[in-house]
Amino acid sequence: MADILLQIGQVLTVLLLAPLLQGFIHRYEERLQRATGPSLLQPYRDLFKLFGKQIVVPESASWVFWIAPVVAFTAMLIVPLLIPVLTDFPLPLSDMGDILGGGLILTLGSFFIHLGAMDSGSSYGGMGVSRSVLIGILAEPILILVFVGITLMAGSMLPFVVNHLLVRQPEVYWSPTHLFLVVAFFILLLVETDRLPIHSSTHIEVYMIEEARVLEYSGPLLGLLRWASMMKQFILYTIFCNVFILPWGLSHLGSFPGVIGSLLATVIKFGLVAVLVIVVETAQARLRFYRYQEPLAAAFVFALLAMIANQVR
Amino acid sequence: MLHFAVNPVVASIFALLAIGSLVLSFVMLGSRWLKDYLHAFALQSWLIAGLSATIAWVTGFHELYFVAVLTALFRGLVLPWLLLRILRRLHVDRELHEVVQPATALLLGALSVIFAVVVAYRIDQTAKIDTQIVTMALTVMLSVKLIGFLVLVIRREAVSHILGILQIENGIFLGSQILVPGMPMMIELVLLFDLLVAVACFGVLVRYLVGVVGATDSKALRRLTG
Repeated sequence: MADILLQIGQVLTVLLLAPLLQGFIHRYEERLQRATGPSLLQPYRDLFKLFGKQIVVPESASWVFWIAPVVAFTAMLIVPLLIPVLTDFPLPLSDMGDILGGGLILTLGSFFIHLGAMDSGSSYGGMGVSRSVLIGILAEPILILVFVGITLMAGSMLPFVVNHLLVRQPEVYWSPTHLFLVVAFFILLLVETDRLPIHSSTHIEVYMIEEARVLEYSGPLLGLLRWASMMKQFILYTIFCNVFILPWGLSHLGSFPGVIGSLLATVIKFGLVAVLVIVVETAQARLRFYRYQEPLAAAFVFALLAMIANQVR
Repeated sequence: MLHFAVNPVVASIFALLAIGSLVLSFVMLGSRWLKDYLHAFALQSWLIAGLSATIAWVTGFHELYFVAVLTALFRGLVLPWLLLRILRRLHVDRELHEVVQPATALLLGALSVIFAVVVAYRIDQTAKIDTQIVTMALTVMLSVKLIGFLVLVIRREAVSHILGILQIENGIFLGSQILVPGMPMMIELVLLFDLLVAVACFGVLVRYLVGVVGATDSKALRRLTG
């Protein structure tokens, strides 16, 4: 029973804290650039506003347009069941899928957003989809390579096993394999959560990638899509922190104080990673379209080197 | 071949230093700016000097400390400084004509690393070696050399070419440090002076290029005259 409550708690954590992470990044990025920045709670207010609005649907849209946001949102609700969000031991439904399964469900969400964007027949939707699929083609092989590298390192595809290995064996934590996988995954994290150097923080038509895909949506449907993308960001941060770089501070027993401590640790860890992302976003200019492949090629090389370094273990 | 026993901590230090130099080779392969390239080379030399010192500490070959100091001094300071002087005189900051884009170059480098891994495993199987550190040393040595060759092929600036050659030499030196730790001191000295002579000759050659052809681009050397 307690395990089931914990599992519901994991989903609720991702659901409720995802807008806070987005708000933190937006606020402190502006602060770093010496502006005032929006409030930390602004994403919550935006979502609340969107859910109170009317839905306008293009005449050319079919049923796909309606179900795409729902599928994307549901996919983001499923992934937290599979990964260590609060506890470092598997919960009842955690053995439904391994890291690769989680990746599959994340990709399913963006696949349906692609379908919905093209379904409306708007030229912006098509453009956004073509750009985002291009980046996907470049990024997905690296994601698979990073997963293969982690599997070779830990001998298992379950995120919990990787977490335990890194906590218990410092020599594995500081081995080149692990450090290079962290670098490769960090580049992927920037790319997948719509950050610079590839994505633009200003929504001008020529730069739009993620934003162009959801241009035809309005009201609660847009709210669902926005929320889903914030949750995707939170989930990727969870994988990056709890599986890759900061595997400490998760609840061992699943008791109430442990879960509260684990939530606090999550806030601190995500804050650290978010600060790193903010610094990268401020220091790095947006790349030209024809140079998109450069950071991704670097990530590919790092993932490959990680596997080479894995020979010495 | 490797005579000393390695404990896990030392093995991971070796791995970190060796893979670090491989990463710096990739920096050289991917950067457009000649200065970055030069800094990466100097840093790689310092890493290799660190590797020599670690081997000296683990195996007890004390002359390797001397080799480490020489490596840091010559490859890490003198050669980059000489090249920096050439660069300053030339007023060339970056590669102007790229044969392949940096991203493609990185992927080609990754392919050569895969090739090096395959070759290293084959060598291990035929030579019946079961020390993993030797496999990794062979891999890093072969890949740094292949990346050096790749740099020679895809770069056009004269300074890039000499850095490519120095990089190949660094790769061989790195491999020999781990594979044959008791290498005679004399050979190392001879190698260092060879490199010094190479860079000095190269300075003369660059001056000739600028004087006769008016460019340091090796593309300008295609035309036959006579």
